[in-house]
Amino acid sequence: MLAPGKAVKVTIYLSEGATHRGVPAYSTILDFLFYRGVAGATVTKGIAGFGADHHMHSSTTVEIADRLPLKIEFIETREKVDALLGKLEELAGTGLIEMQETTVAKPAQASKQKKANPQQHLKIEGKAQMMRIFLSEEDRWKNKPLHEALVEAMRANDVAGVTVYRGILGYGAHRRMHKDKPTLALHQGSVMLSAIDAAEKLRAFLPMVEQMVEEGLVVFSDVDIIKYAYRATDELTAAAAGATT
Amino acid sequence: MKEEFRGRMLRVHFGEDDKWLGKPLHQAILAKCAELGIAEAVVFRGIEGYGSGSRIRRSGHWSFSGDAPIQLSIIDTEEQIAKLIPFLDKVVEEGLVASSPVEAIRYTRAVHVPEVEE
Repeated sequence: MLAPGKAVKVTIYLSEGATHRGVPAYSTILDFLFYRGVAGATVTKGIAGFGADHHMHSSTTVEIADRLPLKIEFIETREKVDALLGKLEELAGTGLIEMQETTVAKPAQASKQKKANPQQHLKIEGKAQMMRIFLSEEDRWKNKPLHEALVEAMRANDVAGVTVYRGILGYGAHRRMHKDKPTLALHQGSVMLSAIDAAEKLRAFLPMVEQMVEEGLVVFSDVDIIKYAYRATDELTAAAAGATT
Repeated sequence: MKEEFRGRMLRVHFGEDDKWLGKPLHQAILAKCAELGIAEAVVFRGIEGYGSGSRIRRSGHWSFSGDAPIQLSIIDTEEQIAKLIPFLDKVVEEGLVASSPVEAIRYTRAVHVPEVEE
């Protein structure tokens, strides 16, 4: 993110028809700037102009209308510009690159509050547990599907995350089968909830599960977690740290 | 009723088109699980995936004929799972079996009476 103060404005002049490896050069440059985290860039199309070849390009002469001048502008800090310049020269091909000192009076703000800079995301690693709950899709709790109620309950109890999977076939604790009569009372509506969090968090939630699940199987296994997050919620970091100790 | 046990969970991965004696493989394994009285077995169908042989498996968009990836989760005690392994060795020609130790809690509504089927 740009800060108010000294910065460099870079302008690249191209012809609309210029290509880089078969793709319009301006879009390659724009992608390059975007993925290298440049604060902002604008492409403007000229209506007439001439360049190094001294041919007049104008939108009225139909046959050369695809050679109209394009201008790509962006403003960044000196260090960042220096880092980008080498590649930019290659991408701009025969085009002109101009730089000028400028002053940022007020930097632009992101219009929506979100994952600001993709480079700032965090990787959290640690030990955790996975809790899988096997249920029937028809199981209910207080007039709502049990799996939905469990998801809501987990959310309310700050369990880090849960996913519900629907099985296509299955049988289990809730549909006891006995050994000498293996007629499969196969059941279409098997559902599995899979939640991952620190062991203590899941254990703390267990009484709730016991209260809600009349029939089903709850399975715990140890997992190593690698989590990518934009903001480290203190809780999760603590959970991961707590689980490692 | 609540019953706690230490056991093992298998996840068996293969394709929906895989067969055993002309029957879909997942049904055959499920039937074997039932025969052995395995505690829990559920079949999941994935949307897309790849595995043995790097063949992309994808569920069909226009029919039910696509070779979707299948995952079977099987949970029981070590002894029970050990009984199932030879069968899996025999029937899974191309696939992957992942095994992990688990702690399980089983909740059952009725008192354990084998003859009573819900």
